[in-house]
Amino acid sequence: MKLEIISFGKISEFIHHQQVEISNVTNTDQLKSYLETSFPELADMKYKLAVNQNIIQSNQSLKNQDVVAIMPPFSGG
Amino acid sequence: MIDHERYSRQLVLKGFGAIAQNKLINSSILVVGAGGLGCPIIQYLAAAGIGTIGIVDNDTISLSNLHRQILFTSEDLGQPKVKVAAERLRLMNPEISIVEHPFRLNKGNIFSVIEHYDIVIDGTDNFDSRYLINDACAFLQKPLIFAAVSGFEGQLAIFNVKDKNNIATNYRDIFPIPPAPGEIQNCAENGILGVLPGIIGTMAAAEAIKLIAGVGQPLINTLLHYNLLNQTQYTLNISVGNDYVLPKSKADFLLMEDNQSHFIAPAYEEIDLTQMLLLRKQDLALLIDVREKHEFPILDQDVFLQVPMSEFNTFMQNNIDAESIVLLCQHGIRSVAAAELLQEKYGDKKKIYSLKGGIAKWRNHFLKR
Repeated sequence: MKLEIISFGKISEFIHHQQVEISNVTNTDQLKSYLETSFPELADMKYKLAVNQNIIQSNQSLKNQDVVAIMPPFSGG
Repeated sequence: MIDHERYSRQLVLKGFGAIAQNKLINSSILVVGAGGLGCPIIQYLAAAGIGTIGIVDNDTISLSNLHRQILFTSEDLGQPKVKVAAERLRLMNPEISIVEHPFRLNKGNIFSVIEHYDIVIDGTDNFDSRYLINDACAFLQKPLIFAAVSGFEGQLAIFNVKDKNNIATNYRDIFPIPPAPGEIQNCAENGILGVLPGIIGTMAAAEAIKLIAGVGQPLINTLLHYNLLNQTQYTLNISVGNDYVLPKSKADFLLMEDNQSHFIAPAYEEIDLTQMLLLRKQDLALLIDVREKHEFPILDQDVFLQVPMSEFNTFMQNNIDAESIVLLCQHGIRSVAAAELLQEKYGDKKKIYSLKGGIAKWRNHFLKR
């Protein structure tokens, strides 16, 4: 499956904007473990996934060409 | 009566005009944090004619603030931010009221401050304050504008305002669990380009004005991400999350542990003396002594209602008004039984507490009168 990955804040320092071709990933839970294995720093951070700009609250299936955004919390003021 | 000349450019603005201007004059906004975000927020709100602006901050002005907090000057160093900001805003617009809250919000004072305002804007610089403000506003369903910055990027959203599908969200719908201390760097550690909070703060003020005036599409249930380096914006639609629980009562809120990921409401809760005294001080709970009338020590009957267990079933036939009830007895065993009875009757409509260990455990407190 082809996915576009967009990330923000500190996460964008180690996960760059990219198109990825991943096999064996059909839902967001699987994508999370793929990302946390490929980018171990992510596993220690709080972040939220959004698929096609909709924040996901539970496991959701992915389809080809979906755009997945990885958003961390900001606290600065 | 509004000064027509002062607001003339907004009064002639198509799609805004006198109706919207009057809404601004009649509104009140609390801005928490008078820093990089807070300064531009309060400056634009005051200039735009928001009738009442409250400012919360317990900090003083330091030299490293001045590159982004452009309401302040080099002569203000060491002065309290709230005092200096209020003086400047009164000069900018003497027709509005500026309310000074020169302290830090905490669980004990937050409700009494935010209840007076129509909208709260969070321009603080740490997660403890942000989760505190979020949870209090979510509990009261008080409209909250969230603004935050990091490096060259910013976030903005509006919470606790229902969209056309009657759905309202809060910060915990995006990030249910606060980051651990040190997990996310703050401005002092990470650095910040001075103009960035100026942009995000100004956008937050614009969202407040849109929300009050009823113009445009405010960022309700929408998280806006802004990147200064490439001038891009990315929005995320926020839906209701299912992995957190907010307090159901003010008493719950008060007893929430600091940095607790979320509040889990038990059937009833065993509390210690400090927690009981906190509830009593805030006048949030009915305190019931369930010991029999012959037992010692005798407690102050102005503070503790005496309902012996032998009479408890009769007592339960009447309705209790208090939303929170603390039960106590000699060793904290009968009070648990009473808690279970009340729990059966009221379910999660009331918060029931039992003093753990009872009067015997805390005898130094109960005997000292």
